[in-house]
Amino acid sequence: MSDPKIEGYVLKPGFRGMAEDTGSDQTMFKGVHWGKAMMWIFLLSDTFIFSCFLISYMKGRGSTLIDWPNASEVFGLHVFGVEVPLLLIAIMTFVLITSSGTMALAVKYGYEKNRKMCGWLILATAIGGLTFVGMQAFEWSKLIHEGVRPWENPFGAPQFGSFFFMITGFHGTHVSIGVIFLFIYAYKTFKGHYDEGKRGWFTSMKGDYVEIEILGLYWHFVDLVWVFIFAFFYLW
Amino acid sequence: MHAGIIFFLVILGSVLFHIFTPWYWTDVASNWGGMDDTITLTFWIGGGVFIAVCLFMVYCVFKFSYKEDRKAEYKPEDKKLERILTWATTLGVAALLAPGLIIWNQYVNVPKNAIEIDVMAWQWGWQYRLPGEDGKLGTTKVVNINDDNPFGINLDDPYGNDDVMIQSDVINLENNRPVKILLRSVDVLHNWYVPQFRAKMDAVPGIVTYYWFEPNKVGEFEVLCAEYCGVGHYAMRGGVEVQDKQDYDNWLQQQETFSDLIAKQEILETSKTKLAKK
Amino acid sequence: MSEDFNDNKTIQAQSSETISGGGGSGLSPDKDYVRPAEISEQDLYHGHSFITKWVFCQDAKVIGVQYFLLATFTGIIGLILSWLMRLQLGFPELAGFMTAEHYYQFVTMHGMIMVVYFLTALFLGGFGNFLIPLMVGARDMVFPYLNMVSFWMFFVAVGVLLASFFVPGGPTGSGWTLYPPQAILEGTPGSGYGIMLMCISLILFVAGFTMGGLNYLITVLQARTRGMTLMRMPLTVWGIFTATVLAMLAFPALLVGALMMSLDNVLGTSFFMPTILKAGEVLEYGGGSPILFQHLFWFFGHPEVYIVALPAFGIISDLISVHARKNIFGYRMMVWAIVGIGALSFFVWAHHMYVSGMNPWFGFFFATTTLIIAVPTAMKVYNWILTLWRGNIRLNTVMLWCLGFIVTFVNGGITGIFLGNVSVDVPLSDTYFVIAHFHMVMGIAPLMVIMGAVYHWFPLVSGRLLDEKLGKWHFWLTFLGAYSIYFPMHYLGFIGVPRRYFEMYDSPYMTSAVGMNEFISIAAFIVGAAQLILMYNIIKTLKVGKPAGHNPWKACSLEWLTPSVPPEHGNWGDKLPIVHRWAYDFSVPGAKEDFITQTTPPSEVANTEVEKT
Repeated sequence: MSDPKIEGYVLKPGFRGMAEDTGSDQTMFKGVHWGKAMMWIFLLSDTFIFSCFLISYMKGRGSTLIDWPNASEVFGLHVFGVEVPLLLIAIMTFVLITSSGTMALAVKYGYEKNRKMCGWLILATAIGGLTFVGMQAFEWSKLIHEGVRPWENPFGAPQFGSFFFMITGFHGTHVSIGVIFLFIYAYKTFKGHYDEGKRGWFTSMKGDYVEIEILGLYWHFVDLVWVFIFAFFYLW
Repeated sequence: MHAGIIFFLVILGSVLFHIFTPWYWTDVASNWGGMDDTITLTFWIGGGVFIAVCLFMVYCVFKFSYKEDRKAEYKPEDKKLERILTWATTLGVAALLAPGLIIWNQYVNVPKNAIEIDVMAWQWGWQYRLPGEDGKLGTTKVVNINDDNPFGINLDDPYGNDDVMIQSDVINLENNRPVKILLRSVDVLHNWYVPQFRAKMDAVPGIVTYYWFEPNKVGEFEVLCAEYCGVGHYAMRGGVEVQDKQDYDNWLQQQETFSDLIAKQEILETSKTKLAKK
Repeated sequence: MSEDFNDNKTIQAQSSETISGGGGSGLSPDKDYVRPAEISEQDLYHGHSFITKWVFCQDAKVIGVQYFLLATFTGIIGLILSWLMRLQLGFPELAGFMTAEHYYQFVTMHGMIMVVYFLTALFLGGFGNFLIPLMVGARDMVFPYLNMVSFWMFFVAVGVLLASFFVPGGPTGSGWTLYPPQAILEGTPGSGYGIMLMCISLILFVAGFTMGGLNYLITVLQARTRGMTLMRMPLTVWGIFTATVLAMLAFPALLVGALMMSLDNVLGTSFFMPTILKAGEVLEYGGGSPILFQHLFWFFGHPEVYIVALPAFGIISDLISVHARKNIFGYRMMVWAIVGIGALSFFVWAHHMYVSGMNPWFGFFFATTTLIIAVPTAMKVYNWILTLWRGNIRLNTVMLWCLGFIVTFVNGGITGIFLGNVSVDVPLSDTYFVIAHFHMVMGIAPLMVIMGAVYHWFPLVSGRLLDEKLGKWHFWLTFLGAYSIYFPMHYLGFIGVPRRYFEMYDSPYMTSAVGMNEFISIAAFIVGAAQLILMYNIIKTLKVGKPAGHNPWKACSLEWLTPSVPPEHGNWGDKLPIVHRWAYDFSVPGAKEDFITQTTPPSEVANTEVEKT
């Protein structure tokens, strides 16, 4: 996107521009929507939550006396008589990353006021998210079936189960909340609420396509966090 | 105006309280006199700053209280003054930090000749174990703990057999000999603390923590738990008796070792089975 | 946008008129020029029924008052709990109804209520909501709806917290630090439902606070009025803003810790639980690390201290400046000190854990970082007293609270140097010295600020001035009483009396201190009762108080410049204020009065020697 135009103010590039924006009146991030700025700061806070989880996980994994289970065995999938390690998780990751792509396109079409395309792409993103959550539910039930519980684990250290269910559960909750909002936003897009600036049910704020970008930020963040969880649980 | 006077009296009262207080620390009975010295140093520097700041404030209250016809000075900044104050404070803080770190360095480095004592804490009491003649404590596990084996010593560890088990919540120490306190807990956090020794450390279940000191006063001292550990926390007491070498050796002679205990237990068991057979 | 555009034209026209009227004052016509507004007018929801106006209200000022009242209510519960504790410690024969379980439950709830539900909620939720939009010249917080939800989350959190008094086993008695394993093991009161409700309540609080915090941050960053740069904001806003940043980054650790502990408690996971032997039986836990919780807790807990302290620093700077009729000395230094303290506060948490059994080598690092914080903090103290120097000090109730703050804060700050310096901490940690230290520095000192702020801003809330005479009685009883509670208490710590002892029997350290304990308890009762004076004062003032009128303290900052006092929803009537200077132009040489408000354009005070704008 091009830089916003601000009357009586010249935006400068680089560090100098940043310093000048900081020192100026009214806003620090020139032309940035309030909601967008809020989402960035919320995500920063959320990053700290996930960091705390993952650091605790590292500490827990480091200090337990019993061996940690081998990820490629535990997460292996038996397909057509062959043991394929990390198959399900590869598909899940692929689906989630793809949904990030559709989300980005939805934002683009949103700003072009292409209501139809935008709506369909949001819907596609929501379905991608739903697939991810569904596959995660499948993986959970598979592990539970094999006897893994938050408090015990037949493959090794019980902390494996505790951390796995807690962290993927927390992430899965993020995805689920995102999916719910995606469906609502898809509905609102198709209904044209963003074109007419119809007021929201709760907040009574006027609708605007920027909301889709804000939700998009959240969605990309959830994907990014997944990459870390993936690396920490499945590849370590 | 009387506000200034009352604030002045508060400062004066604080100083007088410090001079005349009957409440002050107990005589140090270990090698950690350096901690007392650091506290004293911090006290004088910190106390000096406190008094100076407060007296300056009181002075301002007297000198600059509101008058209709006077205008306050207009001086947003004084870079030079601020710089001087920053550097002076930094120097003062460094002067306080340095001795603190030096003593901490001594605190974490245990002397080689220190005798190890296993202090085991539970809700709500203390147990002690000393290494036997081999000078090494046997390894332990919480799951081994039972009536016969209160410390959970691994039975297959040869170092454990001659460990001296103290059948009391009072431990005797030899005067002027450094001890390394190894702290274990079977349930929650505890802290083996003798105020006169100054030193302390939490006992954490799952790991062994340590600290060391060298008692240098003969006498009996009380052990307090200094980390909150449940409803019995306030009543979790133990004792230390610091003795000269002669007395200490006598006392040590009378204590039973782990193998003694096991043997006694076996005799008891066999006599029980014999009785049962009869 | 078109309206704003017109608005701007008129202002430019006005200012050039003034210049030409001034007649060759040498000012260029640009002197009064302020950039046009970037953002269109905020769209506000005005409540029209009782419920939308006063209950589920979206006006930040009302939400601020709601936060204030609810926090005060929980604070009073905390106060009563402290009375019961002091009764037990000073006069155990009168407290026969109290068992050790009760005592530890009261200790825990008192600590948690005072730190989180009283001070944090009051400074950020109360003062933050009320003052930020007014001080930066916004119509309201940027997300009024979210702001309203934030308060009601807090309400639910308080409800859950208080509900724990009525569940089987009572509230948790694990100390406010909630250390596992004892927090969830038998032998600690409330180890079942009590700790569960505590964790839930904290999680709700964090969630609610995050909503509010986002509001405060974005309002400060993106919704300032024309001419309001960051370096023209009053220090109150800087303090609350930085504290909110800390809260947004520190509360996640608490949230994670509370969540993991609930799972340990309910599902039997072993995040924090090693192998444990209870009553001769090995429990089904194993392999967890109790110290991990302490790290999580203090990674939240230390910034939390500054979450309370920084708003207090900011507010006190403004109060001192206004009532000494002098600009705050070294404004830039004050701002950088606030930001610096905030940043450093994330690198000092383990100074609470010197004797916790963590790797002792951490001690060197954390002692150094901790003492480094002393430098910006000391600078703030110097600047407060240098603001008094050559000022024109009004010795009214507000100023008394400020002076009381300086005494208690310096006292508590210096004992902090004892405890931060690792080997000095060893003999003193977990004794009454620690209790005395943190009550002085983050109990009494912030309380002094709150009281000062109440006397200062009450006219803005109600339009009436609180009674000075009652206020002075309130101050002296509170200050002298609180000082005589906590000053002698340091000496209990020197003797070696450990904290969290239900009873002080038979030990030589304790019997020697019995007289002091009784004295402290009596002082505590008096201080608590003295707060009734404030309540009476408020009720009386609301009925028959002196009307304050506009800007009763002759302050410069924007909150006093609203068209109506108390300000209405939307704060500024038709036109947003335009800011031309910082908030501290007091006693400027050449000016007619001893203050120049932030909205005064330079051309109106052309002959003054303003150094900084």
